[in-house]
Amino acid sequence: MTETKVKRDQFTLEIVKDSLIAIGDEMFHTLARTSMSPIIYEVLDFASGLTDAKGQLLTQGNGVTGFIGMLTFMVKQTLEKFGKEGELKPGDILIINDPYGGGGSHLSDVGLVMPIFHEGELVAFSANKAHWTEVGGKDPGSWTTDSTEIFQEGLQFPCVKLFDEGKLNQALVDIIAANVRFPDLSLGDMWAQVAALRTGEKRFRELCDKYGKDVVMDSIDHLLRHGEQLALKEIAKLPKGTFEAQDFIDDDGLGNGPFHVQVKVTITDDEFICDFRGSHPQVLGPVNCSYTALVSAVRTIFLAVTNPSQDVNDGVFRPLKVIADDRSIFSAERPAAVSTYWETMLYGADLVWKALAPVVPHRLNAGHLLSVCGVVLSGIHPDTNEPFLIVEPSVGGWGAGDGLDGASGQFCIGDGETYNVPVEVAETRYGIMVDEYSLRTDGAGAGEFRGGCGVVRAYRAMSDGQTVTATFGRHKFLPWGFNGGHDGSRNEFVIVKANGEVAGPFGKCARFPLNKGDVVRLMTATGGGYGNPLNRPAEKVAWDAKNGYISVEQARDIYGIVLNPHTFEVEGVTSQRQTAKSEERA
Amino acid sequence: MRVATDIGGTFTDLVYLDENGRIGTAKSDTTPPHFEQGVMDVIRKSGISPEAITAFIHGTTVIINALTERKGVKTGLITTKGFRDVLEIARGNRPDLFNVRYQKPTPFVPRHLRCEVSERLNYKGEVLRELAVDEVKAAVEQLRNEGVEAIAVSFLHAYANPAHEMLAVQVIKEVWPEVAVTASHEVTKEWREYERTSTAVLNAYVKPIASSYIDRLDKHLREIGVTGNKYIMQSNSGTTTFAQAKETPINMVESGPVAGIFGAAMLGKILGEDNIIAFDIGGTTAKCSLIDGGEVKVTTDYKIERDDRNAGYPIKVPVVDIVEIGNGGGSIAWIDDAGSLKVGPQSAGAMPGPVAYGRGGENPTTTDANLVTGRLSPKNFQHTVNMDAVKRAIEEKVARHFGISVEEAALGIIRIANSNMLNALKLISVRKGYDPREFSLVAFGGGGPMHALALARELGVKKVIIPIAASVFSAWGMLMTDLRHDYIQTYIRRVNGLNVEELNGEWSRLEEGAVRQYAQEGVAEDSVLFVRYADMRYVGQEHAVKVPVPNGVMDEAAVQEMVARFHDLHEKHYTFKLEGAPTEIVNLHVTAFGVVQKPEIARLEQAGDNAEQALKEVRPVFFEEHGWIDTKVYAREVLNAGSVIEGPAIVEEPSSSTVMYPGQRLVVDEYGNLIIDTGV
Repeated sequence: MTETKVKRDQFTLEIVKDSLIAIGDEMFHTLARTSMSPIIYEVLDFASGLTDAKGQLLTQGNGVTGFIGMLTFMVKQTLEKFGKEGELKPGDILIINDPYGGGGSHLSDVGLVMPIFHEGELVAFSANKAHWTEVGGKDPGSWTTDSTEIFQEGLQFPCVKLFDEGKLNQALVDIIAANVRFPDLSLGDMWAQVAALRTGEKRFRELCDKYGKDVVMDSIDHLLRHGEQLALKEIAKLPKGTFEAQDFIDDDGLGNGPFHVQVKVTITDDEFICDFRGSHPQVLGPVNCSYTALVSAVRTIFLAVTNPSQDVNDGVFRPLKVIADDRSIFSAERPAAVSTYWETMLYGADLVWKALAPVVPHRLNAGHLLSVCGVVLSGIHPDTNEPFLIVEPSVGGWGAGDGLDGASGQFCIGDGETYNVPVEVAETRYGIMVDEYSLRTDGAGAGEFRGGCGVVRAYRAMSDGQTVTATFGRHKFLPWGFNGGHDGSRNEFVIVKANGEVAGPFGKCARFPLNKGDVVRLMTATGGGYGNPLNRPAEKVAWDAKNGYISVEQARDIYGIVLNPHTFEVEGVTSQRQTAKSEERA
Repeated sequence: MRVATDIGGTFTDLVYLDENGRIGTAKSDTTPPHFEQGVMDVIRKSGISPEAITAFIHGTTVIINALTERKGVKTGLITTKGFRDVLEIARGNRPDLFNVRYQKPTPFVPRHLRCEVSERLNYKGEVLRELAVDEVKAAVEQLRNEGVEAIAVSFLHAYANPAHEMLAVQVIKEVWPEVAVTASHEVTKEWREYERTSTAVLNAYVKPIASSYIDRLDKHLREIGVTGNKYIMQSNSGTTTFAQAKETPINMVESGPVAGIFGAAMLGKILGEDNIIAFDIGGTTAKCSLIDGGEVKVTTDYKIERDDRNAGYPIKVPVVDIVEIGNGGGSIAWIDDAGSLKVGPQSAGAMPGPVAYGRGGENPTTTDANLVTGRLSPKNFQHTVNMDAVKRAIEEKVARHFGISVEEAALGIIRIANSNMLNALKLISVRKGYDPREFSLVAFGGGGPMHALALARELGVKKVIIPIAASVFSAWGMLMTDLRHDYIQTYIRRVNGLNVEELNGEWSRLEEGAVRQYAQEGVAEDSVLFVRYADMRYVGQEHAVKVPVPNGVMDEAAVQEMVARFHDLHEKHYTFKLEGAPTEIVNLHVTAFGVVQKPEIARLEQAGDNAEQALKEVRPVFFEEHGWIDTKVYAREVLNAGSVIEGPAIVEEPSSSTVMYPGQRLVVDEYGNLIIDTGV
């Protein structure tokens, strides 16, 4: 009978493990459904989860990939600052957004951490981190493309107590309210975060009450070990060796650049090492990213390469090592400007992706739009005379892969379960009209498998005195094709004034003024292609042309297929395509 | 006599309620692709006289099948200039976060069949640019040449003003009267252009299929002499006429599953239980839904083919809020790469099915585990079960890996399956701010009775009800329905400064529209019953909370009452409220019931406790904390009303069995339902 009990515990551990994951989900949904900012409830630009008492991630609910593992760093900073016995108490909640320390990204991402106690003992942490629409700073929306130091980018929360044993630090709340442009939004989001943390705390304590603390602690070990084993199994299947890639980041928004970046990925039987040394030092403009952000980016692509569908915890990342020089563009230090950190952070993912795509083609496709293509548009709503603020990412084209055309109109790798703002919602809330929301059918990214289309979204200002700030990386260096596939197109935007004058195209621009009738036309990249376009089957080329993804001329000149311009029926192939075929046969 | 027929994947069920309140059932095979044949078969099998049918209620999987199997018709779309790609861009989301090869759902209408026409409204519904009628005509010609059979029309802000859509439909019908047409405002009046367009497109896509199916069914029913009223079960848990179902067939998408949930609510009403958790375990999935205060919850956030890793396609019509997980009797138990036991979501389905079915299934399933632990009896299957094969599968695929006995492994499978289902049940209860201790669990479907009592203990539910007709419970639920239409109108207004007169005008407009529609369907105004809701939120939020609103003319006090209810519901669902914060209305929602007279269900004769006569056998059953216990097994069909059984015990019926734990007590009530006190 004792024997039976011991064996059965394996299933109990599994059940408690599943319960922990369910807690992460519940915390996530609580926050999404109650927040005030579109960037949280539509873009789901937040993460929430649980760590153990040492800060090891147990479960994380994610809307975006970019925060993967960042909760750990917040908890670790909390432990560094309040690690002594008695410094953390039940009911405490800490607030953190220091990008170089526990915050990890930019000031807009505000983290909250709550220690969880069971019978007086610290057993775990509940934590979340969410993009507040506003944290103050020099520009509306807080992030901008021309800041030069952190002090211009908003309020800094250096891991301080928002709640002390359950008592709200009202002075801190008043300071926040006085320093942000939309205090209702920011504080509304803060309350949503607090509610989610408390839900996590309550559920974790219930779990300890039900199964006993020891069983829960054993389950945590089981969970982390389970994650590590899954990761090691997948690494064992990967090709071993060293793989390299390099690229350039456009500029820093202030005219400096381009900046050379590189990676050397070494895969051994039980390690996955990404070495970014040799990349450009930190720069003046706000495109710097901290080491924490780099690690999150690398974790994202590590999961894509190993096992995209597993539950995520710190065990999974035990085999992963990330190396960067001090004070590089990938590991910036105070007081470097970081407010558009993702422009560089995502290169951390893309470099590893590019280095491994040729050797792991069943998991990786060609390069995609890469940039978040973030937009801030602010002004006065003409009907309500109230200020409005759009802060949003843009969808664009993804790369093609072996056996797969690229996805059109999809958010970049740094986002995820991110939703665009419906045109009808945008026109109601904001002082704009949307003239067009369509696929950008430029025919770039040609290949045997075609890159997915970028998108055109055009905002028309409906009142005077609006401004637009946007950062569209991959404006100068294109999404890469591979294995014979062509590169994609660039991200760019132009401003078409009411009088017909055109400004741009731009990759980055801060506070461009818009008056009534002016249009900002946002155009995102088409993804890279895979394989030689001359090998794309004729019927697929005809279908592409019939649907307007490519032109009849592109069908002929790039794919070597001659089509009837009215019926889109195949009328022949070009000599170029014939030559390619006969060379293939030879 | 009221008769309900429900077409499921394997069987077509029939339940009737005669004028004396007596219930009868029948089952026959489902007969794809001519599903109406199965309906005729089951009517014949039931022995009822077609002339005696006063009301015929029908639920079917025809629509969901046409969607998931892509068997609808070639469909075109006419939309606002500049926005034909909305259907393809969709929302841009990637639920499978770390899979860079994620594939978006392919639009049901390819790009060359999506035509743009000049027209434009603003968010207030004001016309900025008139509809270019000639462009509509040109688009129709183009689509006709391409061979489409259905056209969807979706214009920006049509929820605020449908005039352009109505004009476009009129033009299409003039130039091409035969083509099936659906305008977005006919299926939903909520904002969000992608969701509304998707709903219109999917409705158009299945409309010809639905028309021909309903016409064939109608014809067959007439031929055998059914002259009574005929209704179709909708996803909102009410019915509609055959004629209306042909116009908006998309409302039938979940008609079967929803009827079971509704049945649980109605059973609760008969038994005086207002708070119910409805729980339905089938072969491949488990479904659950929470009924609060007797009311089935309805949402318009429904999607097909949506799961953790796929975005799916939105259908923005009212559907009963059901949580469904991939855990049923046929769910396969397997060991993952790191050596942990998992159950589902892969299912052995009906073919090959569990090992026990002897149809070549080699993977152990929940059903197999229930056999090994003695919860199911091999004697209760329609064929001979090879128990050696069942045990061998569990031994080889699970037990050996952990170095444990076959029965321990089987119990492990049941525990993991229960854990999955428990998480789903918590999702609809605890996680939404409801205390399961205040609810009764109604369990049905083949697997419901088998797992319900273990789950109830875990949740703290005190009472479990295994209804009579548990295996045909969806059809039973259909018998209890009224006609129902939901009118949801996006109406964005801040409460502060609300024009109450205008609001009252909107309510009246919605309710008058309902009365008109019912008049067309032959339902008198005095049979129409209204229930109002406002979808509300704090200004700045996106997600709304559905708030019940009093009927009649609203005054300032009624508005304040509505706001107070909103704060309370927000706190209930999300643990906090912001009393000082401004609130706003997003949608007005009127549910209009066309109330139908129904006979009362008759009570059984009180013949006294006969549990001893119903005893079939005593067999060993393996329980979580106790190991093997010699357990009494009873035949449900023999049990009289008033019989009492103490757990541990098993009550078997032909397609299911109720597993009672030690300390639990069962009473057969006056309708034949099993009412179990779970002892928590």
